[in-house]
Amino acid sequence: MPFRLCAAVWAGKTVAALSRMLGHRGSSLPGHVALRIYPGTLRALARRAKKGVILVTGTNGKTTTNNMIAQMLSDAGHSVIINREGANMLPGIATAFVRSAGVNPAYSFDYAVLEVDEASFPRVVEQVNPDVVVVTNFFRDQLDRYGELDQTISFIRDALRKLPKTRLVLNGDDPLVAQLGRIGPETTYFGLAPHGRVLDTSGASREARFCPLCGTDLHYSFYHYSQLGLYECTGCGFERPEPAVQGWEAVSSVDETTCRVVLDGRDFRLNLPTQGFYNLYNALAALCAGSGLRLEPETMLKSLYHYKPEIGRLQHFRHRGRPLYLNLVKNPAGFNESLAILLAARGSKDLYIAINDNAADGRDISWLWDVDVELLAEPDLEINRFLCSGERAAEMAVRLKYAGVSARKIGVEPRVQDAVGEMVRGGGDAAYLLATYTALWPTEKALSTMSDGK
Amino acid sequence: MTDVMLTVYHLYPDLLNLYGDRGNIIAFRRRCEWRGIAVQVREINLGERIDFTDADFLFLGGGSDREQDLMAEDLSSRRANLRDAFEDGMVTLAICGGYQLLGRYYRSLSGRVIPGLDLLDFYTQAGTTRLIGNVAVGISVPGRIVHVSGFENHSGQTFLGEIKPFGRVLSGHGNNGADGTEGARYKNVFCSYMHGPLLPKNPALTDYFIRLALERRGRDGFLAPLDDGFEDAANQVMLSRLKIL
Ligand SMILES: [Zn+2]
Repeated sequence: MPFRLCAAVWAGKTVAALSRMLGHRGSSLPGHVALRIYPGTLRALARRAKKGVILVTGTNGKTTTNNMIAQMLSDAGHSVIINREGANMLPGIATAFVRSAGVNPAYSFDYAVLEVDEASFPRVVEQVNPDVVVVTNFFRDQLDRYGELDQTISFIRDALRKLPKTRLVLNGDDPLVAQLGRIGPETTYFGLAPHGRVLDTSGASREARFCPLCGTDLHYSFYHYSQLGLYECTGCGFERPEPAVQGWEAVSSVDETTCRVVLDGRDFRLNLPTQGFYNLYNALAALCAGSGLRLEPETMLKSLYHYKPEIGRLQHFRHRGRPLYLNLVKNPAGFNESLAILLAARGSKDLYIAINDNAADGRDISWLWDVDVELLAEPDLEINRFLCSGERAAEMAVRLKYAGVSARKIGVEPRVQDAVGEMVRGGGDAAYLLATYTALWPTEKALSTMSDGK
Repeated sequence: MTDVMLTVYHLYPDLLNLYGDRGNIIAFRRRCEWRGIAVQVREINLGERIDFTDADFLFLGGGSDREQDLMAEDLSSRRANLRDAFEDGMVTLAICGGYQLLGRYYRSLSGRVIPGLDLLDFYTQAGTTRLIGNVAVGISVPGRIVHVSGFENHSGQTFLGEIKPFGRVLSGHGNNGADGTEGARYKNVFCSYMHGPLLPKNPALTDYFIRLALERRGRDGFLAPLDDGFEDAANQVMLSRLKIL
């Protein structure tokens, strides 16, 4: 290996070892250091993927989809490298390679499966030439303002145009994603067939209103949520493409979500051990990518059936027989999905919402007002207590109060540790804990120590 | 006050339902209802036939460029009616793009001048850096100055002519990052760069707007006090962080 690359990898590895010793969670620092020493580090190391590089981008579900694909590949006997959750910008991706790179230049692996931040996507693909790009969805994020989502999408479109050999795996139900399908040499779509759950469309996002190609009104014959559904443009004829991998008859219950799916012309049942329709989308994306890599349907479905959600993706804890669920919330679409799960669950509940406004959460928390919090004011919902935590706890309390939740039921405890303690001791049949990104880790830590475990 | 009915016009909610701005409508309505003042909220869409002088409170938010253009086109056909309502004392809150639109013009970086509705005396000049972050503003309401907190994110820099600012910047950028002013005020028209839930977090401001709306209808502007514990705490979290007070 060239000297500078060697030096960069070693320096990166040293930093990684040091930060582990200091007890820091996986950071992007090793990759950052390596790139400083040798800017070509990422480009050089990414070439060592023998069978391919798969990139997963989009607003929600990147981490889950990425982990699902990596798990399938590894269950099928391939060696895989993957980046750690959240480390999805250039230095974080370089870190993934630096950590796994051997000193021996002959060292290689079969696949690199990487989640990539949408805004970093163009810069990442300048260094890493992907064989497959998976796009989960595009939602307005808390960091997005006035048209920045449109801009991000157009940068991704431009970047994809420079990758004429890359196969695309796209969410066909999302018009903002499906519009990218006209670029690639080969595009496959995944999607969810209409099912029983029809959502009120009055809160439908503005992304659902207009065709991304011509600006004419979009017509929907079915909505899943946000702008996801069966759409058709009345102007240019752009419509939901026929999915290669489609979930039929989707059903979600307290501890599993299932649907029918046709793979290789055969009928299968997809079982996921988690709640929430949005997880089906992640699984369908993974199946669609896996099919393209010629993985056996049975292997993939088995892998998904045993899939363990990562931290804060509807993670399940138990205390004295009482379930506690932890879920990450980071934008209105994801928050609304969390509420949908809560609304569907029977029994009495305690609800904890922790809001931080650090850089990783988004400094601007105005998006809380775009969440359909009003749904929580339904009197027959049996929510005993609403406990707000995190640095912006009081503002969440204001949101709940103005949504019509009785002020007597709302508590404010900015200290995560104390608030989680109250939840663990709570009186409802189940507790739901929602947290923004930087509030998630302390919440999970407190839950792990205070509850009986997972 | 059971016979009072205040009418709120929410302009183009399906076009501008963004970034928490609807919190302002919710706060105005709730704080009326909690005091037994009936409120009807009318959502106004492009091209809908309305008379602004019927409204007691008008909310105008911002959007992306395309949405902004549609809004500008629709409002310019209603300009005279809007001016009459402003002169008549209609309470109005205009945020970000809605704010800029009421002024004389917007000048882009390339120097292109996009005319505004020219209802208020100010202009906006595109800046090279975005002015982003938490902001605290001192705003005078009868008898005192309230410290209001919010979030701003704008690239346009606004310069006031013969018109008063909405408030004075205590922390943050305000209109242009230079002259210490935030927003604009003409009669009962209030303009600001503080987007999102401005009114829910700042109840003194909301109550001031409600009082102005009631008095314009010849009503007693007395408002029964409410428990603002959460609101004050939320505001205080940000004011303390910005080291105000
Ligand atoms: Zn079209």
